[in-house]
Amino acid sequence: MSVTNKITVKKAEIAVAVILALCSIALMIKSAENRITWNAEENMGAGFLPFYLSLGMLICTVLTIIKFVLKRSPQSKDDSPFIEAEAFKYIAVTIISLVILVLAIGYLGIYFSLIFFLAFYLRYFSSKSVLFISVFSLITPVLTFLFFEWLLKIPLPQGISEPLFYPVYDFMYS
Amino acid sequence: MDVFILLLEGIFVSFEPLNLGLLVFGCLIGLFVGAMPGLGSVNGVAILIPITFIIPPTAAIIFLAAVYYGAMYGGAISSVMLGIPGASTAVATVFDGRPLAVKGEAMTALTAAAVGSFVGGTVSVILFTLFAPPLAEVALRFNAPETFALMVMAFATFVGLGGDDVPKTIFSILIGLALSTIGLDLITGKPRLIFFNIPGFLHGINFLVLAIGIYGIGEMLWTLEETKGKVQMSKLSVNMKEVGRAFGALKKTIMAMNIGSFLGFFVGILPAAGATPASLMSYGITKQLSKNSKEFGSGVPAGVVAPECANNSASTGSMLPMLTLGIPGSPTTAILLGGMILWGLTPGPLLFTQEPEFVWGLIGSLYIANFFTLVLNIALIPAFLMVLRIPFAILAPVIFVLCVTGGYAPTQSLHDVWLMLLFGFAGYILRKLDYPVAPAVLSIVLGPLAEKALRQSLILSDGSMGIFFDMAEKPIAAIIMYIAIVLLIMPAFGPLYKKFFKKAQTT
Repeated sequence: MSVTNKITVKKAEIAVAVILALCSIALMIKSAENRITWNAEENMGAGFLPFYLSLGMLICTVLTIIKFVLKRSPQSKDDSPFIEAEAFKYIAVTIISLVILVLAIGYLGIYFSLIFFLAFYLRYFSSKSVLFISVFSLITPVLTFLFFEWLLKIPLPQGISEPLFYPVYDFMYS
Repeated sequence: MDVFILLLEGIFVSFEPLNLGLLVFGCLIGLFVGAMPGLGSVNGVAILIPITFIIPPTAAIIFLAAVYYGAMYGGAISSVMLGIPGASTAVATVFDGRPLAVKGEAMTALTAAAVGSFVGGTVSVILFTLFAPPLAEVALRFNAPETFALMVMAFATFVGLGGDDVPKTIFSILIGLALSTIGLDLITGKPRLIFFNIPGFLHGINFLVLAIGIYGIGEMLWTLEETKGKVQMSKLSVNMKEVGRAFGALKKTIMAMNIGSFLGFFVGILPAAGATPASLMSYGITKQLSKNSKEFGSGVPAGVVAPECANNSASTGSMLPMLTLGIPGSPTTAILLGGMILWGLTPGPLLFTQEPEFVWGLIGSLYIANFFTLVLNIALIPAFLMVLRIPFAILAPVIFVLCVTGGYAPTQSLHDVWLMLLFGFAGYILRKLDYPVAPAVLSIVLGPLAEKALRQSLILSDGSMGIFFDMAEKPIAAIIMYIAIVLLIMPAFGPLYKKFFKKAQTT
């Protein structure tokens, strides 16, 4: 039995509810760094709303856990896999490649990172030719540049590749 | 009669070559800006406002209003075709627009959205023209308590009418509200919930980050899992038979059109409300009143018409307080208002007497823009068809690119891109476990406005919550609040009703 088959909807439901409950408690503790009281004499403390909203979240997660224990929710009776093995491959590769993309944006800049991301993604998931993938991976960042930097005048992060764009800016704004 | 003559003059103004050219160009840009995930009318108008300094104020307001209008139409395109709302105003359009497209009825969804937008826009601009002064007075009566009560009702609509698991729905609302409190406290200025002292949290969480994360990244992950990358996106066939069928399906949406047009307009004129709650409320009420309410969410044209009618109607409605009172009815009209000051105009009732060409040129242009956007929207359907023919394995990374750039563009911060990814992954997992995600998006949009209205109300009442339930002092707020309470407790009576109903049937 694969790992993905062991994680059932039932297990995911209770695990997520417990994680959300812990997150709610963490939010309450963080909110309490500010004053969480409120009465007619003094204004509402900066932590009041986030604290009680987090408390509400905690109550909701506890209710979800109670429904789970009493088997009142559909998920509490569902022993099917939370995610199928084949689909897991797609999801995992996508998530990892997106995380690497954003990490790379901070260093290489968005345009070069997009070239590598698109080339990898298309090579992995599509059956297109190397020529198509190369052209597509190069054209998309160029169009992105033209739309954001030339049309909308929004500069996107360029990381260490920034000096390469100076001649382009000189041409655009000369 | 005077109004009719002024309107005719306004329409003539909008037909002047420069104004007409900018109007059509604005509609076109608006359609594309609205269709792009992450960019909505507010982004389009904010980005384009600097270029209006080189043209006369009347041409400038006609151009920007056309962008605003076009974006309202365009938001539905990505909601239907990609399952990603182009802007928060089109969130509710996803609920039924996306299932219709998945069923192969994208043409019906797009036609319903376009016609719904046209009807909502037309009804609201007629209302705008005829009833501007008395309606502005209604909006004037809404102070902080009424605004807060209205927001509570918008949240309660999800609990009472959403049909999802109640604790999970309330959790979704509360997490959206909690996320909206991140940043500087609006009264004391103290930093709140600055996790690990990361400076990026100081400016709060832009709702677009959550919306693109959930509806962009999360939706793509969901689709990847469902399709395993092997099928294409929604199919769309354009032929006379499909067009005829799409228009035929609109016969059953008359009620949705009425609700969306009128509700949208009245919610739109309220400062701090606007197109997003209008579209969500319109969807919720239409669903509740429909004979086929259980089919909503599985792909019914009325579920597309209701929000689209309402968001267009609300966008026109939001211009009413902007023009007559100098109070913006939405974030986009706030930027337009700022533009008016930069153009050397004084927003407010005096505009009607001192700058009639400007005011009536804008009103006249709304009629024309409504028509042109409908034509352009339907004429561009073949362009959407081309997008759909692209295999999903190619479309998915392009959408990821749009999401990453769209997440970065509003604040130009990588911190927001990381948050967007986090929300995308979390949204995907929560959605798999039947946590409704739409209430979280609504809450993060309305959260700061609701908090401001709540705190202003409590200052007015010396800290007493009774201000929201005082039928003598604040009857409108009280009525809205009682409706909200009924909506909140409605799910508790659902099982009892069914129990008694079944018992009555058996006896």
